[in-house]
Amino acid sequence: MAEEDAIFDPTLVKKKKKKKTTFDLDAALADESSNPVTTTTSSAVENEESTENAGNEIDHDFDLENLGKKKKKKVKKPLNMDELETALQEANEETSAAIDIEGEDGMDDTFDLEKMKKKKKKKADINELLDQENENVDVNNTDQWHGSDRDYTYDELLNRIFEIILEKNPDMAAGRKPKFVMRPPQVLRVGTKKTSFANFTEICKTLHRQQKHLLDFLLAELGTSGSVDGNSQLIIKGRFQPKQIENVLRRYIKEYVTCHTCRSPETILQKDTRLFFLQCESCGSRCSVASIKSGFQAVTGKRSAIRAKNA
Amino acid sequence: MSIQNLNTFDPFAEGNEEDVQDGLVHIRIQQRNGRKTLTTVQGLSSNYDLKKIVRTCKKEFACNGTVIEHPEYGEVLQLQGDQRENICQFLTKMGLVKQEQLKVHGF
Repeated sequence: MAEEDAIFDPTLVKKKKKKKTTFDLDAALADESSNPVTTTTSSAVENEESTENAGNEIDHDFDLENLGKKKKKKVKKPLNMDELETALQEANEETSAAIDIEGEDGMDDTFDLEKMKKKKKKKADINELLDQENENVDVNNTDQWHGSDRDYTYDELLNRIFEIILEKNPDMAAGRKPKFVMRPPQVLRVGTKKTSFANFTEICKTLHRQQKHLLDFLLAELGTSGSVDGNSQLIIKGRFQPKQIENVLRRYIKEYVTCHTCRSPETILQKDTRLFFLQCESCGSRCSVASIKSGFQAVTGKRSAIRAKNA
Repeated sequence: MSIQNLNTFDPFAEGNEEDVQDGLVHIRIQQRNGRKTLTTVQGLSSNYDLKKIVRTCKKEFACNGTVIEHPEYGEVLQLQGDQRENICQFLTKMGLVKQEQLKVHGF
């Protein structure tokens, strides 16, 4: 599921984005045309809109389906583009130094950034116009339906709810949640055949997970053996690059740290009747997670040594 | 409509061989000496002839490979080298396994 999302996300958002801009223009134009004439012509305007944005309706359907996920990003873009962009850039700078935990989110962000930049470059002149018009729309939105009994359009309502949300929760305005940033793993080669994971304990602490659990996962995924030595660093048999360890860590976090429902990293891993359960601190959801299995291990190394051990 | 109680359906019967480990196909990589690696494919349905699969894989990826009988995990494909990408594409292209059934382990 998640992977699919990750694959489909960019195009989806892109599509919306493009259509959004055109839509906003249209809407803004429509608003401009309708405002001087007062809102009595609104039904006609709506008709226009509905014909013009026949394609957009599909998008709306989509929105409804995964409202919970996409809502935030989508509405924020038109609202405070500049803020978001600066925030994103900052975030990007941060992430270059440290890994960002939410793999998918990170992807999204980068995509967003690219898109934003592209958009900026392409429509540098149009953008200003658009922004102005957007502002117009925003200003108009709040009092647009005062004194009229026409139906509200979906976008108006969506903008309204998010304006209210932002008003009531000012901390949400600054770039979603506080991002979960952690130090990258320090991976060094020990000799020729072993790898040391120097800040293993530290990472366990930041993730609030037991060393043993992370150790089990790492060893099962890498298909090797290893142990924690006296200096609280992990020694793994085999050669591994920091990038590879990072990948495995990312997968661990996705499965065992972030909440599967709200993706918040504030979770507790509990063991209950031989099963591990992930209890979320922020949304209260509780779900079981896959047990760590190393599965089939092929025979590497000398068979004679194994035979000698068994005999 | 028949009386359900009289049907002899054993709810505790072992499931089909297909849903061993929830039907997931695990693809793992193991390091050997030097920069050599092994790729193992565990959990393929036993309805397929794994020997034939391995024969085509060997030709396709230009590597050696074998089928290993394991008491717990059943028949396991074992291929030489890092064939994770290859085997994923191969299995989905041939329609043996769905994309969401594949689980790739390792770095």
